[in-house]
Amino acid sequence: MAERRRRLHPWPVRLMHWINAGVMLVMITSGWGIYDDDVIIHGLHFSGFWRLGSWAAPSLNWHFAGMWVFGLNGLAYLTYGVATGRLRERLLPIRLRDVVDTVRDTLRFKIAHEDLTVYNAVQKLLYIVAILAGVSQVVTGLAIWKPVQFAPLVGLLGGFQSARVLHFTGMAVIVGFLIVHTLLALLVPKTIGAMVLGGPVLKPATRPETGE
Amino acid sequence: MRQLILGLVLAGFATGAAHGQSATPGGMPPPTGMSLAQSAAMRFPQPVRVGDLLHRLVLRPVEAQTILGRVHAVVRDTQGEILIVISYGGFMGFGGRPIAVPADAMALLGEDLEVVAFTPRQLTAFPSFTGHGTTVIPDDTTIKMGLAKPSH
Amino acid sequence: MTPSPFRPKDAPGPEVLETHRPLIRSLERRGLLRHGLSLGALVMLTGCDVKQPEAVESALLAVSRFNDRVQAWLFDPNRLAPTYPASRILRPPKFNAYYDITQVKPVDGQSWRLEVSGLVSDRHPWTLAQLQALPQYSMVIKHICVEGWSYIGGWSGVPLKTFLERVGADTRAKYVAFKTADDYPSSIDMATALHPQTMLALDYGGDPLADPFGFPLRLRMATKLGYKNPKWVTAIEVTNTYSGGYWESRGFSWFAGI
Repeated sequence: MAERRRRLHPWPVRLMHWINAGVMLVMITSGWGIYDDDVIIHGLHFSGFWRLGSWAAPSLNWHFAGMWVFGLNGLAYLTYGVATGRLRERLLPIRLRDVVDTVRDTLRFKIAHEDLTVYNAVQKLLYIVAILAGVSQVVTGLAIWKPVQFAPLVGLLGGFQSARVLHFTGMAVIVGFLIVHTLLALLVPKTIGAMVLGGPVLKPATRPETGE
Repeated sequence: MRQLILGLVLAGFATGAAHGQSATPGGMPPPTGMSLAQSAAMRFPQPVRVGDLLHRLVLRPVEAQTILGRVHAVVRDTQGEILIVISYGGFMGFGGRPIAVPADAMALLGEDLEVVAFTPRQLTAFPSFTGHGTTVIPDDTTIKMGLAKPSH
Repeated sequence: MTPSPFRPKDAPGPEVLETHRPLIRSLERRGLLRHGLSLGALVMLTGCDVKQPEAVESALLAVSRFNDRVQAWLFDPNRLAPTYPASRILRPPKFNAYYDITQVKPVDGQSWRLEVSGLVSDRHPWTLAQLQALPQYSMVIKHICVEGWSYIGGWSGVPLKTFLERVGADTRAKYVAFKTADDYPSSIDMATALHPQTMLALDYGGDPLADPFGFPLRLRMATKLGYKNPKWVTAIEVTNTYSGGYWESRGFSWFAGI
């Protein structure tokens, strides 16, 4: 019986990744437009070049349209990741020792990525942070959108203004991730190819616990 | 190649902020020739408790809401004019030197204040406040100050 | 745009913008229009975002209308907005309008009347004194502006539900619409109109509303964004005809629930 060839990035993952890439940019830039109407960091203001929607109304409309795509796509991704075991396979376990070693290597620009199918510890950490930040944006976003209907949630977040600050902070984390993620992908273009075409075939019964 | 990409990314982040006033102005300065008292009177002055003004942020009337300083004290001079003493400059409202700005040159903006009659450049030229010839107004005194709407 | 005797009251329609879009783009490219100033003026006139195609704009507005249905479904008529101690009331509150503070036109409380029309049995106009004689309700709630800022304020007045019952309104109607002295129409869904924290506010912080804050009467809700609460209300209509509102015509959500 022929064994199924599993590629690093199955097509559902690739599809959801690029949808997420697009809609995240929409959410971030329309969010910057909304932010401009009442800045959270005094003096920090996004000029017309950076904001999606030239004033409040279109920025809001982009944001409240994009939220459906972001939320549903994100939900689909997490569901897929849990149901297929992909999230556990790709992102766990993480050992502190590995994180330290990888950070050291990265700072020395030793980022050559011969085996794309194995994520180093820093990669795993960053992806987990990005996923958590995405979830946080949905939670804090819902709190800001419906502070009366979801008042208990707002209370947990420390109040309406606090929820706004957390929403802004989550954005900053995601933007930081995006910068690092995009830069590293551009520096190792094979990874971009993999996210378009699927990447290398995975060895059967990959055992992440054995390291490497 | 790597340096080019890094360079482009960094260049892409060099951006100028757009601080222009829009069609819905907020803290507009008084028309030339109009006295501060007259212009303040056009802003529907409302009673405010002096104690509630202390420690408030003082902002530029622009969309970026740049911080000019924080309210340090509210005093009356020998002519009876009310002056707001602001710790001006510094960082995010901390530090800076005290200057006295006429209350008529400022406006209430929610929980903050704005300076509407002087530009930051003009404020920098204000002499440092010494307290000479002024009396502190007690916290429970009510004064009147004009309003502004958010700047866009 | 700030109202002016030198500008027509009725803004040109969006087709004007469409006709002149290439010219506008050309002026922009040549740096002849200061970015924020011109776009602000143009979009405020017509509600269009000069920078995006109309098809995109229509699609986004369609999603916004869908979101209004979701918001209506999420709205729990029995959920009260959080309230706060009176010591936290901001005095004076934060002012906002679609024009500058210097353009506020105070209303004379003596000659002012609240007109009532539509699906009601009693259409007589109300004086301020008559409204003050109705049962009053007080609340200290958080005002949340679509811009993102908020403050805690204290309002008292006649619950809108009480008023609607007094005038024999048909509470199965879909909308309650408001007209104001500053040309700022607004309309709300009946479910919100009947919410206990929706009132015809007469006072702020225990004193009559000040001139810039809507004297003698404003709508005050605890379950909708600030822009849905018109000031200087002059007329109320109970109707099944959708009439939108000032900011809705410029692309903002109509339901605007919080």
